[in-house]
Amino acid sequence: MSAGLYTELLDLACGTFLLTAVLVLWLRELAAIVRVFALQGVALAAIAVLLGAHEQRWDLAGVGLGVGVLRAGVLPYLMRRALAGAAADRGSEEVRETQPLVNVAASLLTAALLTLLAYAVARPLTQLNPTPATRALPVGLAVVLIGFFVLVTRRRALAQVVGFLLLDNGITATAFLATSGVPLIVELGVSFDVLLAVLVLQILTTRMREAFGTTDIDDLRELHD
Amino acid sequence: MNTALLLTTPVAAPLAVAAAYALTGARAPHPARTCSHGHPVVVAETPVTVPAVEPEPERRPQWCPSAWWGLVSPVAILLCGSLLAAGVLDEGPASAFSGLLRADALTAWMLLVVGAVALIACGSAPAYLADEEAAGRASGRARRHYHVLVQAFLAAMCLAVMTGNLGVLWVAIEATTIVTAFLVGHRRTRTSVEAAWKYVVICSAGIALAFLGTVLIYYAARHAGIAEAWALDWPTLAARADRLDPAVTRLGITLVVLGFGAKAGLIPLHAWLPDAHSQAPAAVSALMSGVLLSVALTAILRYRVIADAALGPDFTRTLLAGIALLTLALAAGLLLAQRDYKRMLAYSSMEHMSLIALGAAIGSPLALSAALLHIAGHGLAKSVAFCASGRILQLTGTTRIGRVRGLLAHVPSVGGVFGIAVVALAAFPPFSLFASELGIARAGLAAGTGLAWATSGSLLLALIAFAALATRTTHMLLGPGPVQPESPTEPGMWPLTLGLAACAALGIATGPLTDLLHAAAQAIGGH
Amino acid sequence: MNAIGYVAVAGQVMAVVIGAPLLTGWMRQVRARLEGRAGPGPLQPWRDVRKLLRKEPITPVGTGPAFRAAPALLVATTVVAAALVPLLSTDTPVSAHADLIVVVALIALGTLALALAGLDTGTAFGGMGASREMTVASLVEPTLLLSVFALSIPAGTTNIPAIVSSAAHAPARLASPAGLLAIAALAVAILAETGRIPVDNPSTHLELTMIHEAMVLEYAGPDLALVELGAQMRLTLLLGLLSSLFAPWGIATSASWAALAVALALLAAKVLLLGAVLAAAEVFWAKVRLFRVPELLAGSFLLALLAVTASYFLNGAA
Repeated sequence: MSAGLYTELLDLACGTFLLTAVLVLWLRELAAIVRVFALQGVALAAIAVLLGAHEQRWDLAGVGLGVGVLRAGVLPYLMRRALAGAAADRGSEEVRETQPLVNVAASLLTAALLTLLAYAVARPLTQLNPTPATRALPVGLAVVLIGFFVLVTRRRALAQVVGFLLLDNGITATAFLATSGVPLIVELGVSFDVLLAVLVLQILTTRMREAFGTTDIDDLRELHD
Repeated sequence: MNTALLLTTPVAAPLAVAAAYALTGARAPHPARTCSHGHPVVVAETPVTVPAVEPEPERRPQWCPSAWWGLVSPVAILLCGSLLAAGVLDEGPASAFSGLLRADALTAWMLLVVGAVALIACGSAPAYLADEEAAGRASGRARRHYHVLVQAFLAAMCLAVMTGNLGVLWVAIEATTIVTAFLVGHRRTRTSVEAAWKYVVICSAGIALAFLGTVLIYYAARHAGIAEAWALDWPTLAARADRLDPAVTRLGITLVVLGFGAKAGLIPLHAWLPDAHSQAPAAVSALMSGVLLSVALTAILRYRVIADAALGPDFTRTLLAGIALLTLALAAGLLLAQRDYKRMLAYSSMEHMSLIALGAAIGSPLALSAALLHIAGHGLAKSVAFCASGRILQLTGTTRIGRVRGLLAHVPSVGGVFGIAVVALAAFPPFSLFASELGIARAGLAAGTGLAWATSGSLLLALIAFAALATRTTHMLLGPGPVQPESPTEPGMWPLTLGLAACAALGIATGPLTDLLHAAAQAIGGH
Repeated sequence: MNAIGYVAVAGQVMAVVIGAPLLTGWMRQVRARLEGRAGPGPLQPWRDVRKLLRKEPITPVGTGPAFRAAPALLVATTVVAAALVPLLSTDTPVSAHADLIVVVALIALGTLALALAGLDTGTAFGGMGASREMTVASLVEPTLLLSVFALSIPAGTTNIPAIVSSAAHAPARLASPAGLLAIAALAVAILAETGRIPVDNPSTHLELTMIHEAMVLEYAGPDLALVELGAQMRLTLLLGLLSSLFAPWGIATSASWAALAVALALLAAKVLLLGAVLAAAEVFWAKVRLFRVPELLAGSFLLALLAVTASYFLNGAA
């Protein structure tokens, strides 16, 4: 693969990666959000595979494929199942993020600011070793920040889970772009932890529905000082 | 003894016990029938391996082995901790599996603390659980889940203190979050589900930041010429930290401190702590507050060594001291307005964690030894306090301070233990928290103007917290008792008394542990 | 060379002025056919203009100069912009002045003139339309600027002809993430700026939803003809700009008659194609609710910003 083509493809994958994060902010239908999240998983896998192909490290490409299966296949599947449960149980109101804490237009403008912030923060990282991959590092950080923002401002339990996973995708992308991934054992541990965290959150969502009759986080206000 | 075996046992023993609990559950054909569900008087059940018989309503509590299996792992952890301590003091750090498991003095110290607190928590658990079942709030199935999860929790914590690999350290600490999620939500009430959700979301997100920090450190390490296999190895990183790129390391360390700080109950991601600690079963609160917080803090202590070598001590000093002061101010303020005694204990944990963070910020050998001693003292006293509070909740049915009066007259044993534990937490002599707070204060006042001011400020805030704690506890303990006091024999009090005794003993003399304490402080930069 | 250059400028202006009603007629025709109607034919807008021009000019009582000057100002700014923007050739006598910011400011000036006219009538609809138009404009103008900026960074200049000619020489640049994001952002901004579905519906007079039509309700006769012509010219101009920026193939980069002729034919083809696509899309889209419009525009602004950051940081400029 020529250097130019590699850079173009890598940029394209990173662009898709960031764009999907923005789309998550934009959309209201939880089912659509989950689809976009799956697409982001594909973009993440593409980044890893491209890096692996470029550096001739096939183990990295393998890790990328594994990450792709987890983030584009298993996790969206789990979320879709939770969503189907919610829809069967409570009807249409549960499957939309109707009123986020910050409205969508303001969220999108905030996402713009967060992206700029990510670029500012990532400057020292890029300067340490300027390559096409590390130049794309701000993309990973921007997705981390956007994920955090989704986590803080969205009120449906499932939207919060997506926020957490965006955060995690962003970190994984950062790891790939900066250092071609963390050592295998750590990557395995991290993926396993993420999978378990999503399972735990899914079960908690079910219990929340049983206890509160809704998955609106705003109803969780019994504990306070 | 074989090092690899010694290093593996603290992780493997709880896992084995967890597996044993899980298997007994799988073998029992009808879990609901083997438990005492619906028979309020039955406190302990027959071992589930025996074919289920209809429990007789009048049967008194009897010795039940499976309830006590849980004690195997704390004992194993304590044993390995002491053996490792002896080994480490003689021969220096030991490691196995190419650095994945590693023990130095700090590891041994933390293992001892984990073991001791786990002993208290697991020792008081059977009585607590039996009472929950008697009250119909839990089933046999839930109890088995409880045991499996607690053991897995212990294993994850041991892994976190025993690994030399910073990536595995992260994995282990995140694993504690996942395992304890269901423990926090054990009671399945609205409040406990809410607490569990907040706990998982805030802690996972916070700790994800720590992973980002870890990745950045790894990135800096790779560009400092450290090979892939060793770029997350703590001793290697600590030894070559001066070559790390300062700008990247600064960013990474900030994220790590914020991220693990979330797990240690430090500002700004502390909001889960009072909710989770007030909703979890008492023994789990004891474990979380007593050791989980300090395990996360230990991770920060390890990173501090790297940061100090790469950036000079001022950066982490400012960061940690700032976070510690803010957390302390918040905890003291909320303690003043507290009306729930379990939340009161939770905020008191935040107060003590910020004192430990302050000790880490000061960073002199005296301060670090004091901080480590504080970890031990706080772990013992806080776990006793939480276990006692769980019993109080069972007796009174409320967590509101205003509704609890005259505990000393009502149930002298529980009230007494709770009172003494709070006295210990308020850092009265002879308990070890007195010695350690004194050590932190002395080190802070000797450390230069800025830190001296920070220390004075935190002492003032600690005083406020102490006053709040004392007033609330007095309200609960004193006052007229009921007309006819209940039977004075309370089950499950021996571990609590033992814990308080240990805490007091540590305060009088650290004895054979002195060398270990100093070696541990030295391992994390107290030269 | 100068002669060809001036002819090119004149050709651009004529193409926009004459072509604008034809484009609108073409789009209505496409739409009619897709909806199964016969349609009035592409010449209908010209017939409308002729009819309106013959009528007596009437202005409402109490309106001032802002109302009277607005139609002329709208057409004038659009004509100047059409002369500046490289539609046929990047090498004209005025191309040195065709700065991005000038062009966007000219377009904004036309919008502002109409909004003032809407306020000047003192009617409820006029004021409402003006306030909505300004809300939309406050998000659209920065988006227009930013999305073209994204393309200007690789070219190293904000001069639009220079951007177009450099893009014509390096077409691969347009397929980069920055280019794609900028296309998406610019397309949304153009839809909003020209008052098309999904932001506004050009054929509605339903008071709750209209934006552009609400401002010009009070116009009649020749003034209305000018306003309509102005709006149609802006659509043509912006579609032309879009095609020049992202499909610059065929545009004349040197002074030659043949190149100019080819460019004219290709411009017509590209704009007609874009118009057909837009008309077809409008058949299938619904107008978004007014409260969702800022979301759409904020989204396109974000896309434009991402395009700028991407082209600045990813392509090695850092």
